[in-house]
Amino acid sequence: MCHVTNDLRKAVAKKHKKFFERHLQLLPSSHQGHDVNRMAIIFYSIVGLSIFDVDVPKKYGNNISWMRKHYIKKMLNDTNNTVISGFVGSLVMDIPNATTINLANTLFALLSMIMLKDYEYFETILDRESLLRFVSRCQLPASGSFVSCLDYNKNSASLVDSDDLRFCYIAVAILYICGCRSKKDFDRYIDTEKLLGYIMSQQCCSGAFGTHNEPHAGYTSCALSTLALLSSLEKLPDKFREDTLTWLLHRQVSSRGCMKFENDLNATYDQTDDGGFQGRENKFADTCYAFWCLNSLQLLTKDWKALCQTELTTNYLLDRTQKTLTGGFSKNDEEDADLYHSCLGSAALALIEGGFNGELCIPQEAFNEFCRCVIIRAP
Amino acid sequence: MEQYDYSDIKPLPILTDQQDELCRIMYTEDYKQLMGLARALISVNELSARALQLTAQVIDVAPAFYTIWNYRFNITRHMMTESDDTVSYLNKELDWLDEVTLNNPKNYQIWSYRQSLLKLHPSPSFKRELPILKLMIDDDSKNYHVWSYRKWCCLFFNNFQHELAYTSKLIELDIYNNSAWTHRMFYWVNFKDVASEVELADELQYTMDKIQLVPQNISSWTYFRGFQELFHNKIQRESEVVQFATSFIASVLSLPIDLPQDLPEIESSYALEFLANHWSADPRTQDSAVKAYSLLAIKYDPIRKNLWHHKINKLN
Repeated sequence: MCHVTNDLRKAVAKKHKKFFERHLQLLPSSHQGHDVNRMAIIFYSIVGLSIFDVDVPKKYGNNISWMRKHYIKKMLNDTNNTVISGFVGSLVMDIPNATTINLANTLFALLSMIMLKDYEYFETILDRESLLRFVSRCQLPASGSFVSCLDYNKNSASLVDSDDLRFCYIAVAILYICGCRSKKDFDRYIDTEKLLGYIMSQQCCSGAFGTHNEPHAGYTSCALSTLALLSSLEKLPDKFREDTLTWLLHRQVSSRGCMKFENDLNATYDQTDDGGFQGRENKFADTCYAFWCLNSLQLLTKDWKALCQTELTTNYLLDRTQKTLTGGFSKNDEEDADLYHSCLGSAALALIEGGFNGELCIPQEAFNEFCRCVIIRAP
Repeated sequence: MEQYDYSDIKPLPILTDQQDELCRIMYTEDYKQLMGLARALISVNELSARALQLTAQVIDVAPAFYTIWNYRFNITRHMMTESDDTVSYLNKELDWLDEVTLNNPKNYQIWSYRQSLLKLHPSPSFKRELPILKLMIDDDSKNYHVWSYRKWCCLFFNNFQHELAYTSKLIELDIYNNSAWTHRMFYWVNFKDVASEVELADELQYTMDKIQLVPQNISSWTYFRGFQELFHNKIQRESEVVQFATSFIASVLSLPIDLPQDLPEIESSYALEFLANHWSADPRTQDSAVKAYSLLAIKYDPIRKNLWHHKINKLN
């Protein structure tokens, strides 16, 4: 698995484990607002624990049956008695006569089940056809993009939800986990051509991806991961690919050369961010963008480690946003550690170290073993 | 706030303290009661004024709960047809949404809900949206969701008349505001076919003035390059542009590069990168491009030295 620790760092690694463990235990009522996304909390914690070599199947094996309760199957009141299925974030959101399953919670739950090695779920409980029917219904026919949920009453794509590259990525990742590999596999459930058209429409003039021409490292990672899962990265035009590579490498914040001139002028520049990554031009470095940028780079080129200065990123993460006292990572040096940045900070380090699957954001070994043990027949 | 009676509703209580639960949340009594009631109303799809009131309370404690927004929209759509004045009913809903927006600047469901309301509105107005957009940008001048929404509005209302002046004002306040610069580019992308030569010349001058003011700024240089690429058929001022960029690099191209410590400071690494990129396109100037990339690698932007060597390798 991934070793981001050496002897000197062992003490801190222990604190990180405790930090992630804490989030799986009792949470104060201030977390009520996150109830709806509880599968995200579980996923981030389990990824973090896996990176720090905790045997999560052993430690959390007892929680599997509780996890499975969040997998909801619904028969729709239509003439065909159509069945759809997916996960809710919390049982509070499971409401009789209403469709409340959600794409993000579904992906987070499936990936968590893979890391927990609940292979029995995949072989005997998961109803792949109805799950993928749900994914299919989240696609917007006009644009090819995806929303994250259905109208609770009509069971067609929600008119109120946003659609963007994040949900495209999530939809495709779910299909991939369920065994889709070739275009023909994907085409059985979604309009792949339309989706590719949508992704290409989110290219920005200066390289990278974003909404209406403002490039953003998070959306760029979603777009490139989606293309990678669809085996379609080669569809990117050469110039755009080169511009995107350049754009991503420019996101590494530097205190050297001419960059230091910004010191007293640019209110969102801090020379002590050196080595970290920002999500957009002229923003402070932020822990999570180390992952989004490095993942994007590793998808674009095998030589990614020879192109950027990953050792500086490691230093930035360990010296600046890692919390040696409480465990976890913060967004920047000013805030307290939070779960999201702790997960992605650890993931960035694991990606640099090797053995981490960036497209799915889980340790590669966990996915390899899942593929070895669970035979999901091609659709 | 109006008081409604919910006493006839049998709540659908939420499950608590389950066996082997992960991330158990210590729900407050208020949360349990509120969600019990909301679940009951959604389950029977009651489309009423009291249900609308309840959704506001749920959104207050759980703004990320997608179903509650969906429910509120269905209630609104139903109530709107029952009201004698659809327009003022929807405007009232937008007023409520403005309040929620100001209190939840990072929530993104707000914006898609707003879009759904405007699509429903018989006479939507961009003017009505401008104050909330202004307040949100004043609060966080690079809020991605707000800028995306503003662009959506421009396209939805097919109205771009405020955009250049608005971004000028924001660039005036903070010349490094990349959202403002990319929004300006968005404007030109949409006006690509109708922009006049005078407008383009003025815009090029505007950009050069801003670069002159702060030469080490990636946003203005990216815009400068993107603008010329977009209008490469209409703008032919190559020598002027090269001369302009060269004015920021203190003749370093003519100096030997074997002793980096002896090289002078230059005002802008982005000027050097701009020139390197420009010279790469023409075989006759590729030697200059190689030299410019080498200078970036050894002195002016060394964190990206591997990128600059990659660019040099591509040329050879």
